Amino acid sequence: MIGLEHYLYLSGVVFTLGLCGVMMRRNVILVLMGVEIMLNAANLALVAFNKFMLPGADGTVAPDGQVFVFFTIAVAAAEVAVALVIAVALFRRLDTVNVDDVANLRW
Amino acid sequence: MEQLLFFLMAGGMVAATLATIFARNPVYSAIFMILSFAATAGLFVMLDAYLIAVVEVLVYAGAIMVLFLFVIMLINLRSDELEGLKVNPLMVIAAGTFLGLMSKAVSDLGPAVQSRANDLEGTPALVAETLFTEYAVPFEAVSLLLLAAILGTVVLARRSQDA
Repeated sequence: MIGLEHYLYLSGVVFTLGLCGVMMRRNVILVLMGVEIMLNAANLALVAFNKFMLPGADGTVAPDGQVFVFFTIAVAAAEVAVALVIAVALFRRLDTVNVDDVANLRW
Repeated sequence: MEQLLFFLMAGGMVAATLATIFARNPVYSAIFMILSFAATAGLFVMLDAYLIAVVEVLVYAGAIMVLFLFVIMLINLRSDELEGLKVNPLMVIAAGTFLGLMSKAVSDLGPAVQSRANDLEGTPALVAETLFTEYAVPFEAVSLLLLAAILGTVVLARRSQDA
């Protein structure tokens, strides 16, 4: 029987892979993809928790977790649009998408 | 049957995510990521979150990944600029620590959740009812956020005169 733990372990593993992507890739677009993978793993955990939640006083379960996922997806879409246009502006100005070359603000 | 399906989806999701991270060419990364989102949508169906599964495919695998592919083509990297992972021992320690803490948290789950699945079914009618009553104000806030994102994108994408 597949329980909550299975989904949460899967979510944790995928989140860690996204974290590795963010830390280890140097291309700004791949870094963004890592962020998306992490958001997606969090969504999986939210839906799984919603499915294994105890019923409320009236015996039904509200789909709160799924509504949260809906919001997360909307925020992720906004974030990706802005971040990708920043990547394009970066490429136009500095002719690179390597995060190591963009160190103007580093002390 | 359920177990077989779960491990198929979970294995596909982890394998596609690994391929996303390790692929040298960003286009391959994007395509493997679509595969990973498809596996996630399958898991959402197994959790009876039908509406979220459809939104995942439409918005994530559809809109967001098309945006990624579009920008990858716009930037058009030369082949000598493609590179793989740059691993530093600190990163491995950080990722390992996170995974360890996460496993510890999962193995100490509290009493607010149960081991047996409840009978919640995320049909569009049920999710929409909650979304438009209890969460009406956050819903409107999200529309403002999207508007702000559109304006920000247009401002940033415009060629500035002083450049």
